[in-house]
Amino acid sequence: MTPPPAHCILNFNKTVFALIIINKAGGLIYNRTFHEGGLNKISTNDYLVLAGTFHGVHAITARLNPLSPSTTTSHRTSISSTATAPAGGAASAVGGGGGMLTRPEAPSGLEVLETENFRMQCFTTLTGVKFLLFADTTQTNVDLAMRRVYDLYTDYVMKNPFYQLEMPVRCDMFDRKLGSYIREINNR
Amino acid sequence: MVVYSFYIFDRHTECIYAKTWLPTSASSADTTTTGALTTTSAPRATSSDDAKLIFGTVFSLRNMVRKLGGDDDAFVSYRTAHYKLHFYETASSLRLVMLTDTATLSMRNVLHQIYINLWVEYVVKNPLSPVEHKGGAGVRNELFELALDQFIRSLM
Repeated sequence: MTPPPAHCILNFNKTVFALIIINKAGGLIYNRTFHEGGLNKISTNDYLVLAGTFHGVHAITARLNPLSPSTTTSHRTSISSTATAPAGGAASAVGGGGGMLTRPEAPSGLEVLETENFRMQCFTTLTGVKFLLFADTTQTNVDLAMRRVYDLYTDYVMKNPFYQLEMPVRCDMFDRKLGSYIREINNR
Repeated sequence: MVVYSFYIFDRHTECIYAKTWLPTSASSADTTTTGALTTTSAPRATSSDDAKLIFGTVFSLRNMVRKLGGDDDAFVSYRTAHYKLHFYETASSLRLVMLTDTATLSMRNVLHQIYINLWVEYVVKNPLSPVEHKGGAGVRNELFELALDQFIRSLM
């Protein structure tokens, strides 16, 4: 057993472990481990199950809002009723003016999950794709890393003309850019 | 710091205690504001459904975390844009869950305190309390409820 290199000892607690991308239907479309030893090795099938489970749990966590979700629904009905009552352009003006004050906040599911050994950041895009970034509990600026990963996804996956929506991501450029970016974080 | 609600689940996955401290001022004008805080010990109509959903969530996440982080790993908390859920599981698989606002730091030690100072003292050491708390029997005793309410209010 050789001791790990010096930079590994120094930065052992500052590591991004893995990235998972889940499509809007709850299917696993990307799965990559960056740092061995951070998370248990599980089979691809288990990853698929995990993605589906998380997708369901995420939807439930959005519904569990203790701050009376009933009021948000009543707001929604009141907005729609004011918007439909006046005709034409006035409707949008009334709806817009009242909406600024009473518009309910968009439901939000799980964003950060903390455990004893790792922290998971979840970012949901407007189209419902979920990015799960697993990192060490002491890792800082995961938000920023997530943002960057999303940038890479939009640049190298969404702009790839051969990529089919909702299908597993197999883009060399994405793999390469993501790998070099995460390596940069892990060796910082 | 605001505590929204607190749940205890036994090892048979049944919700044996649920309590909510909902600030009425935080919701809007269409709910009747009677005071700063209304404590509803008797659950709302949907609160048993809520308890089931919470248990399902916590159970799935705990299994997920164990699969990824190893058997010694423990799920601590999760946060959404609106609330934060804290989880603590004892060795006898009694599960304590607390929902707070998002700015709250880790409440793991608080849940542990509730377990050792309130649960063990007032429920386990109560000679009249049954071993299994079917339907919350034995948990709804005056001392436990009073002490829990005081303890939570001292945090807020």
